[in-house]
Amino acid sequence: MMNKIITDENPMVPFLGKLKYVRDLGNEIKLLGVELMDGGALAFSEYHPGQFAFVSAFGVGEAPFGIASTPARSGILEFAIQRLGTVTTELHRLGQGDVVGIRGPMGNCFPMHDFAGKNIILLGGGIGGAPLRPVIHTILDNRKDYGHFTILWAARHPSLLIFTDEYEEWRSSPDCELHLTVDHPDQTWDHNVGLITELLAKVAPSPHNAVTITCGPPVMIYYVNQVLNKLGFQPEQNFVTLEARMHCGIGKCGRCNLGDKLICVDGPVFKMTEVGQFLESYL
Amino acid sequence: MTMITRSALFRWLDEMAEELPLIAPSYVEGILLYRQVSKSSEVAMARERPVLSPKEVFFPSTEVLFTINKNGDKLRLNETLPVKEQVVFGVKACDARGLSSLDAMFIDTAPADPYYAAQRKLTTVIGMKCKEMGETCFCTELGLSPDDPSGVDISLAEFEEGFDVQVMTQKGLDLLNRYLQDGADFYIDRSPLSGCTDATQPTRVVLPEAKTFPLLFEDAMWDEVAERCLSCRICAYACPTCRCFDIRDEELPASAGERRFERIRCWDSCTRNAYRRTAGGHDPRAGKGERLRNRIYCKYYYFPRRYGQLSCTGCGRCIDLCPVNIDITEILRRIVEVRQFP
Repeated sequence: MMNKIITDENPMVPFLGKLKYVRDLGNEIKLLGVELMDGGALAFSEYHPGQFAFVSAFGVGEAPFGIASTPARSGILEFAIQRLGTVTTELHRLGQGDVVGIRGPMGNCFPMHDFAGKNIILLGGGIGGAPLRPVIHTILDNRKDYGHFTILWAARHPSLLIFTDEYEEWRSSPDCELHLTVDHPDQTWDHNVGLITELLAKVAPSPHNAVTITCGPPVMIYYVNQVLNKLGFQPEQNFVTLEARMHCGIGKCGRCNLGDKLICVDGPVFKMTEVGQFLESYL
Repeated sequence: MTMITRSALFRWLDEMAEELPLIAPSYVEGILLYRQVSKSSEVAMARERPVLSPKEVFFPSTEVLFTINKNGDKLRLNETLPVKEQVVFGVKACDARGLSSLDAMFIDTAPADPYYAAQRKLTTVIGMKCKEMGETCFCTELGLSPDDPSGVDISLAEFEEGFDVQVMTQKGLDLLNRYLQDGADFYIDRSPLSGCTDATQPTRVVLPEAKTFPLLFEDAMWDEVAERCLSCRICAYACPTCRCFDIRDEELPASAGERRFERIRCWDSCTRNAYRRTAGGHDPRAGKGERLRNRIYCKYYYFPRRYGQLSCTGCGRCIDLCPVNIDITEILRRIVEVRQFP
C-alpha cells in the first residue's frame, strides 16, 4: 500500500511508481520500467521525445534522467540508468516491485513534426543514447512520415552499448541504416572501431533535406558538430540535447544555467544555432 | 501627521508575539540576526542591518519538502508546506527589494515554488526605514532608496518621539487593526522628517551597461579577481537574493521496523567547486574565475534578462563578510574600467 498526502499539485513532490521490471542494459547500466500510480499515470499519459523526469530513490535523493520510452509503445515509463553517483547506485540496488518517485515530464522536446519528410541522422554516445531512443521509436512507428534514417551509435566499449537487443529492429526497418562503433573493442567486436566523429566522416551523410540529432558527452557534441560543419550541415539543421545535474527541473534551483539559459526549462533540446548564441559554452 | 509612540509600538509587538511567531532583528551571542522573539524587549532596534538577510524566513537554509515513511513495502509521503502565519519586523528597504527579486523568480515565473509562495502569503512584513547608510551599503547606486517603503506591508520610520506608520497593503492594515489598540498615549502629532539623512555618500559603484557583459565574458580579469576566492560561499548565504539550492534525503530516527527520511533542500552557491559538474564528470565552470564571473553575471546580467530586475540590492553584506576582502563594488568598477580602457 502506498499513498501520498499532498494539499495541492506540488511540483517538488514526486508521483509514486512501482518498478515493473529491471533489466541489465550494459555494464553498470540498467533499464528501469516504472508503472506509475496515483496521479502519475495521468501526468505521464502524454510526453514527448527529449523530455526528462526526476527519479527518486527514497532515502537517498533524486536525479534527472532523459525518458527512454514513448507512450505510444508502452504505458510503462522507462529509464536507462548508468551507475555513477549515490542516487544511481541506490536505484541499481532496487528490484521488481520496489517503489520509486517520479517528477515530470519536464523540459522541451525534439520538434518531431518539423522533422516530417526530412532525412534524419541520429548520433548517440554511451548513455547519451537513452533520451534518443524515443526519437528512434517515434520514427520507426511512423516510418512514412520521415525520410532516410541513419543511426550512428557509439560507446567507449561494447559492454557500454545500450539497447543492443533492438539493433535488429532498427537496422531492418525500411530505409534505415545503423552504424555501430566503439573506442575500445573486445574480441567479439566486428563493427567499426574509433570515435563517432570518425564514423560520421566515413558515413558522410548528405546535408540535403536533413536534420541531425546528437546526444552524448559535451566533448562529443563539440567534435560531432565540427564534422557536421565540414560535411556541409548548417547549425540550424543540428539539434542537441544537453545535460546538467539539476535539482528542481522547474527553473528555480539555479543549478543548470549556461549563461542566462536554464537547461531545465529552456531545454534540454536546443538547435546548435541557439547553443552558438549562448554566452557561456557547454564545454 | 500622526505617529505612534514607542510604548504603543512595543505594546503592539508584545501582543503580536503572544499569538504569532514574531521574527525580528535580535542579538544572538552578539550577532544580529532575524530570529523569533517572545517579547518586544528582545527586538534590537539597531540601525545596522542583520548579518544575514530575512531571505531565510521565506527560503530557509534547510527546508523540509516532504517526509518519507517506509514500513515494509508500505511507503508514505507527507508534504510539509508552511502553514503558520507569522510576522517579520524590521525589514530594511534593501531586503524588501531582495524579496521582490525572489518573488519574481519563485512566484511570478510559472510554476510557482509552493514552499516559498506559501510562506510569503502567510507572512506580514513590517519594514523599517534606514536613517543612515552603512559603510558598505550601496543601495542608492542601484536605484534604491534607504527609506523606500515599497515591498513591505507596513513601513515604519523611527524618530525620537515615536514611529511614523505607513500602511502599504491590505495585509498590513489587517495586522495593524488586529493588534494595535488605541490608548491615551497612542498618537502624537509631529511633522515627519523626510528622507534618509545619509543617502548621499560618495559613489561606490557605477552599474555597467547590459551590453558590457557579453564583451567582458572572456576577459582575463575574472581569473585575477577570483584568484583569492576561497569558494566558501558566505557571499551567497548572506545575500538577500541568491537562491540556488541542492536537494537530498536525510534519515530521521524511527521506531523498530520503520524507516523515516526527509527530503530537504538547502542553500547552495554557484561559486562552490564542482557546483556545475555533470553526471559524466564534465564541468563547464571548473575554474574559480568562471564561477565568480557566473555569480556577478547572474546578479547584473542573467537575472535581469530573465526576470526584469537586478539580483542585487546593494546591501553590502557580501563585502562585510568575505574573508578575503573581495568587494563586489570593486568588481563592478573594474568591469566599467576594463570596458573604458581595455
